[in-house]
Amino acid sequence: MTIASTAPTEQEENAVLRAHITTQLEQGTLDLPLLPVVANQVLQVSGDPNADATKLAALIQQDQALAGQILRIANSPAYLPRSPIVSLQQAIAWLGMNMLAGLAFSVSVQSGIFSTKGYEKEVRHLWSHALATGLFGKEIARRMRHNVENAFLCGLLHTIGKPVILHLVLTSQTNQENLPTWTDLEPVIQEYHIPAGSKLAEVWKLPDPVQEAIRLYPDQVYLQATSPTKGAIITCLADHLASHVFDSSYLDEETLRALPVIQDLNFYPDDMDALFELREGIQQSVEAFLV
Amino acid sequence: MNTSSPYDLIVIGSGPAGQKSAIQGAKSGKRVALIEQNREVGGACVYQGTIPSKTLRESALQMVQFLQATDVFEFRMRDDVKISTLMTRLDKVVRAHGAFMTEQVARNGIERYHGRAQFVSDREVQVKGLDGVTRSIRGNHIVIATGSRPRVPAHIPIDHEHILDSDSILSLIYLPKSLTVLGGGVIACEYASIFALLGVQVTMIDTADRPLKFLDQELTDQFCGAFEKTGGHYHGQQQIQSAQWDGFSKVTTHLENGEIFESEKMLVALGRVANIEHLAIQAAGLEPTPRGLISVNEQCQTTVPHIYAVGDVIGPPSLASCSMEQGRRAVCHALGLDSGDAPEHIPMGIYTIPEMSSVGLNEQEAIDKCGGALVGRARFHEIARGQISGMTNGLLKLVADAEGEKLLGVHIVGEGATELIHIGQMGLLHHIDIDRFIENIFNFPTLAEAYRVAALDIAKQRKK
Ligand SMILES: Cc1cc2nc3c(=O)[nH]c(=O)nc-3n(C[C@H](O)[C@H](O)[C@H](O)COP(=O)(O)OP(=O)(O)OC[C@H]3O[C@@H](n4cnc5c(N)ncnc54)[C@H](O)[C@@H]3O)c2cc1C
Repeated sequence: MTIASTAPTEQEENAVLRAHITTQLEQGTLDLPLLPVVANQVLQVSGDPNADATKLAALIQQDQALAGQILRIANSPAYLPRSPIVSLQQAIAWLGMNMLAGLAFSVSVQSGIFSTKGYEKEVRHLWSHALATGLFGKEIARRMRHNVENAFLCGLLHTIGKPVILHLVLTSQTNQENLPTWTDLEPVIQEYHIPAGSKLAEVWKLPDPVQEAIRLYPDQVYLQATSPTKGAIITCLADHLASHVFDSSYLDEETLRALPVIQDLNFYPDDMDALFELREGIQQSVEAFLV
Repeated sequence: MNTSSPYDLIVIGSGPAGQKSAIQGAKSGKRVALIEQNREVGGACVYQGTIPSKTLRESALQMVQFLQATDVFEFRMRDDVKISTLMTRLDKVVRAHGAFMTEQVARNGIERYHGRAQFVSDREVQVKGLDGVTRSIRGNHIVIATGSRPRVPAHIPIDHEHILDSDSILSLIYLPKSLTVLGGGVIACEYASIFALLGVQVTMIDTADRPLKFLDQELTDQFCGAFEKTGGHYHGQQQIQSAQWDGFSKVTTHLENGEIFESEKMLVALGRVANIEHLAIQAAGLEPTPRGLISVNEQCQTTVPHIYAVGDVIGPPSLASCSMEQGRRAVCHALGLDSGDAPEHIPMGIYTIPEMSSVGLNEQEAIDKCGGALVGRARFHEIARGQISGMTNGLLKLVADAEGEKLLGVHIVGEGATELIHIGQMGLLHHIDIDRFIENIFNFPTLAEAYRVAALDIAKQRKK
């Protein structure tokens, strides 16, 4: 579907855009293709009979769209899992290298390619933030002795609604030469990413704790979450830490340490010291991806 | 430096040991402060130990019984068990128990401090809050009840993701296909048997030739038999060289004899260490033992007379049951109250599948101590109640003196063992004769009848 463009005002454009997003959300016709770089890597690794299994596993665990699609398909009747697949690691162990490679291949072929045109820097930032949140989530869960795989998945997918909205906007523009500026887009993405992410997670039948974390990770609401895995509260702190690492204008260390979520997690100053120590390592892991 | 009036009693740690210490102090009319670093009261017992492991066991058993009853099941669990159901129930039970304990502490007027305790001197303790802000409180008596946590062996990289310990094993959200369990103690055996029952391929690896060496061998033989029937395997007398996650789908364990084991997950249950690292006990004039414990006398008093230590922080038997009693007795002693006779016979309950329990002397100890022993046995499948319930395993052993007259010990394996043992415990406390079990009437049909059958077995062996 496209939006007619007869030189509307900025305000009108915005209203049309919002109406379009709302309709798509209601209809549940949301989509999330793979990034070109990810699709390329998947095709390379899955097509290579001598490929290193750990490479494929790492790839699957670095990209929101790929991760979500793998979970969706692994849980589909075609694969008949013995019990619901609730983590990427479980999918990897359950499916094995050959099946996983086939699955990744079909996902990358069928999903299409995400157009980053004009928004390369921002798209990179969205992906980096998601991966960093997953990695911080893992470390937070480790300290709490909570499920590490679930915390990672919740973190990786918590903002899955952002690229969904971006994709929606990009595909709805008739005039690809006159795309909205990021400054115009950002508030819209911010406003709609949780409903969009929740809807996609529902349609893709992602595990319940992940759906809950997508809905309830923000500061004001994580206490409403009931899952024993505590994905929402873990993701809340992980999201702050990821923003702190990748956005120089974000909260500084001292302000972060005073956030209520830290008290709610029962984290002492030394717990936070340990997490802050991981900043560089996580930043490097994220930057290594998407190269 | 704090100038407010000192508490009669400061308790550090709110597990079973600390909680019972604080309650005893409050019930004796004293002003009590309870310091706990966690948000919730209850300690490892509620959140990582006794309560969650027993809830998981009970839920697993109930699921199996349900499936047996619906006739879709032969011996092992079906493949589609949803561990999330088990874990949600576990979360509910733990929350309910924690809330009950919190309420009990509040009801008794105990003042709670949320933070980490550290000694400033033998009468002053600093409480460091989550925000890093500290407060100091003073006490006339101080009880250390900071418990224990899983030991992390230097050569095994526990990541709580693929290689788990007894805390993080409770965070599983799906059943792995296979699990290697390192260790042959109580915690290792309990989890190994629960996961085997749930259909996980479990391999236990330990240095000892059989698990739970401190127990009567007939009991552990039955346990091993049942474990193997559920697909489990005990690999004894082995030294672990290394264990490692392969980065894709399995944990690889290398043994010193060259054998290699692979599994989806690993549980490391190789003992526990006392939580003393934040306490700065030296500031109170205390020194840890070479094993990192706090040493105490039979009243749980440390070398500083007004400081007591109770529960796991003083080492074995490291049971919630004993920790509670130690807490109560320590505070009674501190306050000059009569605490009654010290417990003579501490029962041991092991919640494996099947359960095992033991009190008093085993056969060898009886021979060493009393110059001989007669042993009577009752097998559950020979008891009416056992037949009705379809029990294929289960054994009750009575150990008597050489004449077969005095009861010296009771050892039980089979469902209900941890409850049944208390009949024997009371018998031991009252120094009863074996014939008392023969001359008295038990409800019929019950498993308790096994006491009578085992006593008759002893009577049969007496020299005429
Ligand atoms: C898997 C498992 C199964 C078990 N099953 C059984 C069983 O079936 N039956 C049985 O009797 N026992 C069982 N146990 C043992 C039992 O849980 C322990 O013996 C018991 O919890 C010890 O009680 P505690 O009060 O000494 O310590 P804990 O329960 O460990 O409590 C200590 C508390 O002190 C707090 N603390 C530590 N340091 C500080 C500090 N510096 N400042 C403030 N607070 C501090 C901790 O946060 C904790 O809350 C089991 C244990 C495990 C791990």
